[in-house]
Amino acid sequence: MKSAGVTSLATAVTAAGAAETEAQTGPRVVGPGDVPVTLMVNGKRVELRIEPRVTLLDAIRNRADLTGNKRVCDRGTCGACTVMVDGRTVYACSTLAIEVQGKQIRTVEGLSTGNALHPVQQAFCDVDALMCGFCTPGFVVATVAVLEKHPNATREQISRGLDGNVCRCGTFVRIMEAAMKAKGVARG
Amino acid sequence: MAEYSWPEKPTLLGSAVTRLDGPDKVTGRARYTYDINRPGMIYGRMVRSPFAHARVVSIDLSPAEKAPGVRAVIAWKEPGAQVMYQGDPVAAVAADTEERARDAARLIRVRYEPLPHLASVEQALAADAPAVFPGGNTQTGATDETGDLEAGFAKAAHIVEATYSTHVITHVCLETHGCVCEWDGDKLTAWVSTQGVYPCRIGFADGLKIPQANVRVITQYMGGGFGSKFAPDVQGLICAKLAQQAKAPVKLMLDRKEEHLDTGNRPSAAAHIRAGVTSDGMLTAFDGQSWGTGGAGALSGFPLPYIYNFPIRKRTHKNVFINAGPQRAMRAPGHPQGCFLTEILMDELADRVKMDPVAFRIRNLPPAAPNAMWAEYFTRGAKAFGWDKRHATGDPAPGPIKTGMGVSAHRWGGAGRGSQAHVDIMSDGSVVVKCGTQDIGTGTRTIVAMVAAETLGLPMSAVKPEIGDTMYPFSGGSGGSTTAASVTPAIRVTTVNALDQLFAKVAPTLGAKPEDLVAQGGRIHLKGNAAKGVAWKDACRLIGTEPISVDGKWEDGLSGAGTSGVQFAEASVDIETGIVKVTRILAIQDCGLIVDKLTAESQAYGGVIAAINFALFEDRIIDRVTGQMVNPNMEWYLLAGMSDVPTIDIMLNNMPERGVIGIGEPPTVSTASAIANAVRNATGATIRSLPLHPHKVLAAIEQQRAGGTN
Repeated sequence: MKSAGVTSLATAVTAAGAAETEAQTGPRVVGPGDVPVTLMVNGKRVELRIEPRVTLLDAIRNRADLTGNKRVCDRGTCGACTVMVDGRTVYACSTLAIEVQGKQIRTVEGLSTGNALHPVQQAFCDVDALMCGFCTPGFVVATVAVLEKHPNATREQISRGLDGNVCRCGTFVRIMEAAMKAKGVARG
Repeated sequence: MAEYSWPEKPTLLGSAVTRLDGPDKVTGRARYTYDINRPGMIYGRMVRSPFAHARVVSIDLSPAEKAPGVRAVIAWKEPGAQVMYQGDPVAAVAADTEERARDAARLIRVRYEPLPHLASVEQALAADAPAVFPGGNTQTGATDETGDLEAGFAKAAHIVEATYSTHVITHVCLETHGCVCEWDGDKLTAWVSTQGVYPCRIGFADGLKIPQANVRVITQYMGGGFGSKFAPDVQGLICAKLAQQAKAPVKLMLDRKEEHLDTGNRPSAAAHIRAGVTSDGMLTAFDGQSWGTGGAGALSGFPLPYIYNFPIRKRTHKNVFINAGPQRAMRAPGHPQGCFLTEILMDELADRVKMDPVAFRIRNLPPAAPNAMWAEYFTRGAKAFGWDKRHATGDPAPGPIKTGMGVSAHRWGGAGRGSQAHVDIMSDGSVVVKCGTQDIGTGTRTIVAMVAAETLGLPMSAVKPEIGDTMYPFSGGSGGSTTAASVTPAIRVTTVNALDQLFAKVAPTLGAKPEDLVAQGGRIHLKGNAAKGVAWKDACRLIGTEPISVDGKWEDGLSGAGTSGVQFAEASVDIETGIVKVTRILAIQDCGLIVDKLTAESQAYGGVIAAINFALFEDRIIDRVTGQMVNPNMEWYLLAGMSDVPTIDIMLNNMPERGVIGIGEPPTVSTASAIANAVRNATGATIRSLPLHPHKVLAAIEQQRAGGTN
């Protein structure tokens, strides 16, 4: 059952590279209007002018038209917005875009190369680990992350790794099957 | 007269076919309504009542009109009007960013005069309840009565009398309700997260007082509906009005809180039941007074008693209105409630006569029929599940973890009709199949292509299915598990007719009659002589520049109605904490002719997991003082995660002779009852009320220890 805590968004926001200024005069205040924000998404630079309060999820969905990852609960509970930042999964709905400048962001769009699906994506298709598909991008990213961390993951490790994601259609049985298949273990 | 009947030896139908749009969904390429970004698009945001019941005194839009980025503002309620629940729509705004739309919505000044509200069924039924709803806070239906009740009870050796209840849950569609509206002159295009593009077209036309001909509704992908997404709703009409005022496309998607408050829910159900049984385990009589709430002004009916044969019965239902969001159909409306109330009672009755719950149920079933296969399923399921290892109620094992098994049965309709389709076969051999249905997640796009490919003897990849648009021929909303049974016959009829036209063109070149030809394996050839024929592409060259273009519609004889199913559950209960863990589910389901085995199974898995949520986790909690929902989010409105999902075995009973029947809903009906009966078998305590939250489980165990509930 999900009961993740809610990350406060009310943190003071510091622009990247402001450390020097900070040493002399305290944190430099940016905003509240639009400010330049540069993100590295799937290996590409994305230059935006957004308010500092804009989340990573809204920045990529509404400003960069990368709509694969979804907004569902909008407060760090359901995992539909799961992306990887420097190799770790984060809830993009509860991460400010301005905070992840200079970091490597991987969204669901960054997993496949051309028409070739990532093995996890292929496994999801093969065993029908999706129905309406709205939670699927988040589950795919979370599954990739857990298998990158534990290449020979046990069912328990996969289960733990995916407990931060919720599916309403009820595809869990086949998501587990897909994850087990993607890591090359025989289906049970 | 063309022969439409399903092939006796199909190549595709009944096999496991991966869904066509899987790659689009796993890569994020699939564009849901939430993902539609139109040039110049702005964002809508609604203002809703914070009160459960109030009169709107005044609405001042001017501060919002002056806010940065604001392009349109409208009042939805008139001063003097009442709001009947928290979340009742009052006004709306559109601005150039979502953040600014939210800021501006907060600037709209609405003054309310709070009025007395009813936050619960108990409050609505209280003798001194304020009169909140015109016509009364309750509405009692006609009494349904068969036979002489007292004579029935006189025959009973045992009588069980108790109150049973289920709770309100919300749909929690992961893609919230909403749409993108864009005007071109007086024509509206609406991308809607809906399970009915055609019903939505009517809804927009009626609500905006414009011709249906001026409305186009598009739903290529949608993120769950479960019965709550048939109409544009208020947010759809507001979105269209904002777009008109702003002269720009507007996206208005609800947030999670709005989704809980104002997009429907499964009504609660309760009944005080008196039921009798003879000493040899025959049901005699059933007397039930039931009630439930569907929120503000909405009904709460459900079938009762469910399935089992009470020869003499009486039932009266009372709809109770409270100040909460109105209900909508939710996955097998009424059935999970009626099933729970009846199936817990059945286990109590079985205990009175010391019969095994499976044997007791079989003894009291209505007559067997193709849509009433329970006796066979109980027997088959008991064997597969290891029912013979079920201990008597009250797990004798030492320690705090007790395990048990339970069983339950269900039924559903699943008939469909009325879909239309269009098929084009082009001179290059390509095929397009169009139908104005939509894919709610069950795999409709895939079965459209399967039926066409099967009929034309082509691989799936050679057929392009087009759905989710009112530009395509009519199909109804995806509800009542009717879609497969409505759509597949239309596709079959239309493609058979198109193929007949192709046969007519090919026959002379083969020196054969059209009726002697078949399409198989990518070729058109003589029946029984595969060598005498042509490849599909060569055959299509005969078509010329004018494609074969055929309209067709659903015909009788290819689809059926009525399904039955039985489920077994095994659960463990920690009697020190009250935590229930489901360990195994077996679901047996008949489903007529299986079209796609893979996606049919997925629907059964999904139904079972939805019901685990209903049984153990979900609960819409309304504060009894303020009338406000306490958990309109996803951290306190609980849903199962991966670690909560048990081993689930699905046994689908393919019955091709019955034609296509939908099964999206039935597998979700009986799981919760089977789990509750398993908890009863584990602990010896009867829990007559859902959800099986730890405090209720502990309370039932305490009550049982203190002198027994049986």
